[in-house]
Amino acid sequence: MSTQPIADDDAERKKNQFHFDRHTPEYRERFEDITGEMLGKCPVAWSDTYGGHWVAAGHPEVFELARSAEYVSNDHDPNNERRGYKGISIPSPDVGFRGGFLEMDPPEQRHYRQALNPYLSPAAVARWRPLVDEVVRASLNEKIETGQIDFVDDLANIVPAVLTLAMLGVPLKNWDIYVEPVHASVYTPPNSPDIARIQQSRLAMRDDMLLQLAEIRANPRPGMINALAQAQILGTTPPDAELLGVIALIIGGGFDTTTALTSHALEWLSQHPDQRDRLSAQRDTLLDPATEEFLRYYAPAPGDGRTITADCKIAGQEFKEGERLWLSWAMSNRDPEIFPNPNEVDLARTGNRHHSFGLGIHRCIGSNVARMVFKRMVLAVLDRMPDYVCDPARAEHYQTIGIIQGMKHLPASFTPGPRIGDGLDETIARLQLAVNEQRLAEPVTVRKGAAEIS
Amino acid sequence: MKVYVDPERCQGHTLCAMAAPDVFTLDDIDGHATALDGEVPADQEAKAAEAVRSCPEQAISIIS
Repeated sequence: MSTQPIADDDAERKKNQFHFDRHTPEYRERFEDITGEMLGKCPVAWSDTYGGHWVAAGHPEVFELARSAEYVSNDHDPNNERRGYKGISIPSPDVGFRGGFLEMDPPEQRHYRQALNPYLSPAAVARWRPLVDEVVRASLNEKIETGQIDFVDDLANIVPAVLTLAMLGVPLKNWDIYVEPVHASVYTPPNSPDIARIQQSRLAMRDDMLLQLAEIRANPRPGMINALAQAQILGTTPPDAELLGVIALIIGGGFDTTTALTSHALEWLSQHPDQRDRLSAQRDTLLDPATEEFLRYYAPAPGDGRTITADCKIAGQEFKEGERLWLSWAMSNRDPEIFPNPNEVDLARTGNRHHSFGLGIHRCIGSNVARMVFKRMVLAVLDRMPDYVCDPARAEHYQTIGIIQGMKHLPASFTPGPRIGDGLDETIARLQLAVNEQRLAEPVTVRKGAAEIS
Repeated sequence: MKVYVDPERCQGHTLCAMAAPDVFTLDDIDGHATALDGEVPADQEAKAAEAVRSCPEQAISIIS
C-alpha cells in the first residue's frame, strides 16, 4: 500500500481536476460539451490521464502559456541526453527519434526555421499558385464527367501531397508513395488488422525519403531537402536520422492537416448551400475570413504537448519543472470571451484570433501553404461542381481527434461537367518538367517569380 | 491613426496583411509584418483596427 501522501501544495495546485482523454471517440462526439465545461469551470486543469498532465483550454491561458518559451519546452529527448523531456505528444510515442524542429527548443529550432523560411514565406508560397491550380484542375478532371467524387481521396489528399513534394525537391509522381502512410497512420488504431499493411507503406515512404536525401546530397537539386542537407545547425551538419525527422515533420504537417481542413469545409458548405452560394458570389471579400473561420472551427491539429522547464506561475496556475502540459488549440478556439457564438460558423467573422496554427515561436511554418492550397481547392470545387452534395451516410470522420481532426472519406455527387485539359498523370509529368527547368523549388531569395505553366 | 508591429511578438501569422494589405507589409523571407511608417489613411483605419484585433500574437498596437 502506498503511504505517500499528496503534498499539500500539490493538492492545492491541482485542485482543478478534469478527466481529459482526447484519444477517446467520446471526446470527438462530446467535444462542444467537454469544451464548454472546461472553459466554464477550469480553463487550466490537472488530468489524471497518461501519467497525469495539465490541460489548458481557455483562450487567454493558452495564449500566455504558448508564448512562454522560457518556461515551456518542446524538446523531445529520447536518449536522455538533456533532461529526458517527451516532446509534443501526450502520451509520448515510444520512438527513438525527435519529430523535427517541432520537438526542439531554440537555438537549434530557430536554425532549422531560418533554413526553411525562404521556402515557406507568403512570397515564396505565392510562386507555386499556378502549379497548384494545375494539380487541382487535373484532379477534378478525373471525376468531373462521372458526377461522383470522394473529396478526400480524389482531391484533398492529392494536391497538398504533390505540392509538398515539389517544395521538398522530391519527384512529384512519388506522391502516392507518401499519401497512404501519412493519411492512414493517423486514423488507424494500433490494433487494426490493417496495421501491418500500413507499416509496410511507412517503410516504403521512409526508404524513399532516405533515397531522396542521398541523391540530393550527391547531386544537389533545389528544394527544402537540399536546404536541410546543407544547413548548419548549431555549427554542424546534422546526421541523416535527424534530417529524416525534419522531412517527416514537413510531410506530416503538409499533407493530412490541409486535407482535414478542406474536407471539413466542403462538408459544411454542402450542409449549408445558401452559405456556399454566398461564399462563391462574394469570394473576393469572404474567402479570407471564411478560411480563418474554418481553421478556427475545425482546428485540424487540435493541440500540442509541452514540458514545464522550471517551477513557475503562468496564467494564474503554479507549475512544477518536468510536468507535462497539453495546449488545446481546438478548445481555446471556442472561448466565448473571444469568439461570440463560438460553436457557430460565421464566414465573415472578424477579430478571429484563432490558435489553429499554434502561437509563439512554433507557429506552423507551413501556414501560408495550407491557406493557399485550401483556397485554390475550394474555389475550383465551387466553380466546377457548384451543386455538389456530400453523402452523409458515406462520409467518414476519424473516430478520434487526438492527433488530427480529419476525414477518411467524403463522397459527393454533382451535375457532371466537361474535362478541361489533360488528366492527372499527364499533368504531373508536365509539371515535373516545369519544376526542373524553372528551378521552382529554389528559395525566394534565389527565385522571385511565379511558376510559368504552359 | 498610427500603428506599430512589435517585431519581438510578431510570428508571421499574416492576418494583418490579409485585413489591411495597404497598411502592413510582409517580409519576403519570413513573412513577419511591418506597419506603414506614418499616418494610416482615413479610409484604411477600420481595416487597420481589424488587423489589431485579429492578430493572434497581439503584436500590433495603435500608437496615436
